[in-house]
Amino acid sequence: MPIYPYIALSFVLFLIGTVGVLARRNAIIVLMSIELQLNAGNLAFLAFARALGDVKGHVFAFFVIALAAAEAAVGLAILVGIFRTRQTVNLDELTLMKR
Amino acid sequence: MTINAEVVLFAVLALGAVVGALLTISRPNPVTAVMSLVGTFFALAGLYATLDAHFLTVLQILVYAGAIMVLFIFVVMILNREEVSLVSWKGFFIRALGAIAVGYVVVMSVQVVLYSRDTAVLHASTSNPPAGYGTVATVGASLFRDFVFPFEAISLLLMVAIVGGLILSRSHHQTEMAEERARHVDEIRHKAGPAVKLLPGGGRVVEGEDGDAEDASEDEHGHTAHAGH
Repeated sequence: MPIYPYIALSFVLFLIGTVGVLARRNAIIVLMSIELQLNAGNLAFLAFARALGDVKGHVFAFFVIALAAAEAAVGLAILVGIFRTRQTVNLDELTLMKR
Repeated sequence: MTINAEVVLFAVLALGAVVGALLTISRPNPVTAVMSLVGTFFALAGLYATLDAHFLTVLQILVYAGAIMVLFIFVVMILNREEVSLVSWKGFFIRALGAIAVGYVVVMSVQVVLYSRDTAVLHASTSNPPAGYGTVATVGASLFRDFVFPFEAISLLLMVAIVGGLILSRSHHQTEMAEERARHVDEIRHKAGPAVKLLPGGGRVVEGEDGDAEDASEDEHGHTAHAGH
């Protein structure tokens, strides 16, 4: 089986993640969509690594997972902090840094 | 493409991943969204297994479907609020930017899937992996032989994330309590004068009764203590 279906699936997942980031207004869902995009990237990494027979792609996927863990921890801590002071996680209402 | 077990497995897992992803971005209830995302991650772990990435399959389940999603569940439980507007497209700029981004990804994916799927790399067969491919041994060897410094950088990043998460999630109430405690200790110290030494736990040692304490603080206020006797 060739790897291009994997690449196509990776594109589809990334696209769904992009739509989620741009359209949803709940900050938690936006963070989850970012996780989805990172996973789509991981799938492409692993598919190309498999096609080339090289495990360097696996190492990069490993780094991406570590990065996603750090991002989720800090991002969710920021969300909890914002919710504590503003009582909302709706991105349309969080406009303090505008202007 | 002939229909065999590999193709069927890919189709089932890919369908599961896409359906889970669509549910994730379309459900108004965040708990449902998190559960759909867990399903997507399990389907992706299965796809990693079909790509002979055994180590990454286990990591995907342990770290993503386990640790990160538990974190998301916790935060959803804390911040569970009814969502007023599911989506909103305020502002021309955001709308245009979104349309351009989505259009770009669609064009690129169509280009790859339809026009360049016969390139050598994309058409490489996944039937015969090299010996030991994707196991902990080979991935670990590559990690510690070729990518030692990026690995250390990632560990530093995780360290920073731990400290940052702790500081950000520290509540205002806790900070006030700590300040109050510090003020209280200062007050006691001020009232008691230099002859009384405070222990970290809040207990007090009066100099003169404890020989060691007197020796240790001889330089600072030993004279005052003796003058009092």
